Amino acid sequence: MDWGVIAKYEDLLVRCLFNTILLTVVATICGTILGLFIGLGKMSKNPLWKVPSSVYVELFRGTPMFVQILLIHFAFIPSIWNAVFPDAEIPGPLFSGFVALSLNAAAYIAEIFRAGIQSIDPGQMEAARSLGMKTSLAMRLIVLPQAFLRMLPALGNEFIALLKDSSLLAVIATEELGYFAFSVAKNTFERYPPYLTTAAIYLVLTLFLSRVVVRGLERRFSPK
Amino acid sequence: MKLGKKWLGAFTLTVGLGILLAGCGSAGSGQSAPAGGTDTAASNQASTATTATTAAADKVYQVGTDAAYPPFEKMEGDKLTGFDMDVIQAVADAAGIKVELKHTGWDPLFNGIDTGTVDIGISAITITDERKQKYDFSEPYFEATQLIMVPEDSTVQKLADLQGKRIGVQSATTGEQVVKKAFGDTYDGLKGYDDTPSAVDELFNGRVDAVVADNAVLQDYVKKLTDKKFKLIKDDSFETENYGIMVKKGNAELLGKINEGLNKIKENGKLQEIHKQYFGE
Repeated sequence: MDWGVIAKYEDLLVRCLFNTILLTVVATICGTILGLFIGLGKMSKNPLWKVPSSVYVELFRGTPMFVQILLIHFAFIPSIWNAVFPDAEIPGPLFSGFVALSLNAAAYIAEIFRAGIQSIDPGQMEAARSLGMKTSLAMRLIVLPQAFLRMLPALGNEFIALLKDSSLLAVIATEELGYFAFSVAKNTFERYPPYLTTAAIYLVLTLFLSRVVVRGLERRFSPK
Repeated sequence: MKLGKKWLGAFTLTVGLGILLAGCGSAGSGQSAPAGGTDTAASNQASTATTATTAAADKVYQVGTDAAYPPFEKMEGDKLTGFDMDVIQAVADAAGIKVELKHTGWDPLFNGIDTGTVDIGISAITITDERKQKYDFSEPYFEATQLIMVPEDSTVQKLADLQGKRIGVQSATTGEQVVKKAFGDTYDGLKGYDDTPSAVDELFNGRVDAVVADNAVLQDYVKKLTDKKFKLIKDDSFETENYGIMVKKGNAELLGKINEGLNKIKENGKLQEIHKQYFGE
C-alpha cells in the first residue's frame, strides 16, 4: 500500500474537493428555489401547475440518479444546445453536473416543502385570510416561515444526500471527489489509499454540514 | 382481531417462503444458463478439440473482459464478440482448456484477477512495466500504437499541440498514460471516461478537443462513422505497444498453457486468420 499516491495527485484532489463543494452549494440553492415552486405546484388547485409538478416529482424520484446523469449529459444537453445555440460550444461535464444535481434535488425538496407547508394548521391561513391578506402574502409571511423551521432537519438530510450523490458525476468525468477516487485507483492500482482518503473527506464534509450548518440554521430560525 | 393477526402472520410467512423458494429456483437456473451458452459457443467454434480433452481438464477458466472496446471486444445482444474473444477461444482450444467469457468492465477485471474471481484477462491490455509488476502476461498477440483523434478542421498535428487543450481518454488506459507523460499526472484538461465510446462521444459533442486511444479502436470508428468529420494523427513519440493475455502474478501453470496455445495458433496460421477477419490485409 502506497499512500504517496495521494500526494502525487494533490493538484487533482484540490480541484475535485473544490468542485464537490461548488456542486453541492449550487445544487442546494437552485434545487431549493425550483423545489419551492414545484412543491407549491403539487398543492395548487390549478391543473396546469399541479399536473406538471406531480409528474416532475414522480419522474425524478422514480428513476435512478445515475441514469438521469447519463441522459442529461450525453443526450439532453447536447441536443438542446445544438437546437438553441447551434454555434456555441456545448458546456462541459461540470455544467451537466449542476443541472443534473439541481433537477434531482428539486424533486425531493418539493416534497419536503409540501410536507412542511401541510404540517402547518390550516387555521393559520384562514386567520390570515380573514384579516384581509391575500393567499400569496399569507403564504409568504405566515405559513412559509413556520414551515421552514419544521423542514430544516429534512432539508439537512437532503443536502447531505446531495453532497454524497455528487460522486456519481464521476462517470461523466466531472472532476469531483468520486472522480478523484476512481481515477487515482485505476491509474495506480492502489485501492485503499484513494478510496479511504475520499471516504474520509466526504465524512468530514457531511459532519460539517450536519453539525455546523444545519444546526446553526435551526438555532438561527427557532423562535426564542 | 386476534384470529386476524394470526392469519396475517401465517399469510406473510407463506408468501415470504414462497418468494424465497422461487428466488432460489431462478438463481439456480440463472447460473446454469450462461454455462450452457458458452459450451455451445465453444463447440460451434472448434468442435473436436474441446470435447476430446473435456475429461482431462474440466476446470472452466473465467475470462474477464471490458466489452466496450470494439473491434476487440463488444457485446452483441448477450454474446461477447470481437478479435480478443476469437483469439482466447482459439488459444483455449489449442491448449485444451475450457474457458467461459464474461464482461467485467475494465477496472473490475484487474480487481477480479487480484481476488481470483477472474482467471484470465484479455481486453486489449497493453503489456507495460507498471502492469508487469502486479500481473503476469503471455507472449504478445497483437501490436498496437496510440493515435490522436481530432475534428477534421483541427490544427493539431502532434501530441505537443494538445498542450492546454481538453483531451478525452478512457481512464487507466495507455492512452491516458501517454497524455500524463506529456502533460503531467494531474493535467487539468485530461478527462478520463469509464469507456472509450464515451470519450469519442464527447469529441463529437465538442466537449473535448481530442481523444487519445489505441489505433485499431479509432480506425474502427473511421470505418463505422462515415457521417462524422474527424481525422486520426500519429505522433512519432508514441511507442509500439504489445497486447498480452493477463493472469494472476505467479500463476505459471495457466500462463504456460496460454503460451502453448498462443504459439500453436501463431504457427498454424489461426491467429493471422482472425487478424485478417477483423483488420484486413
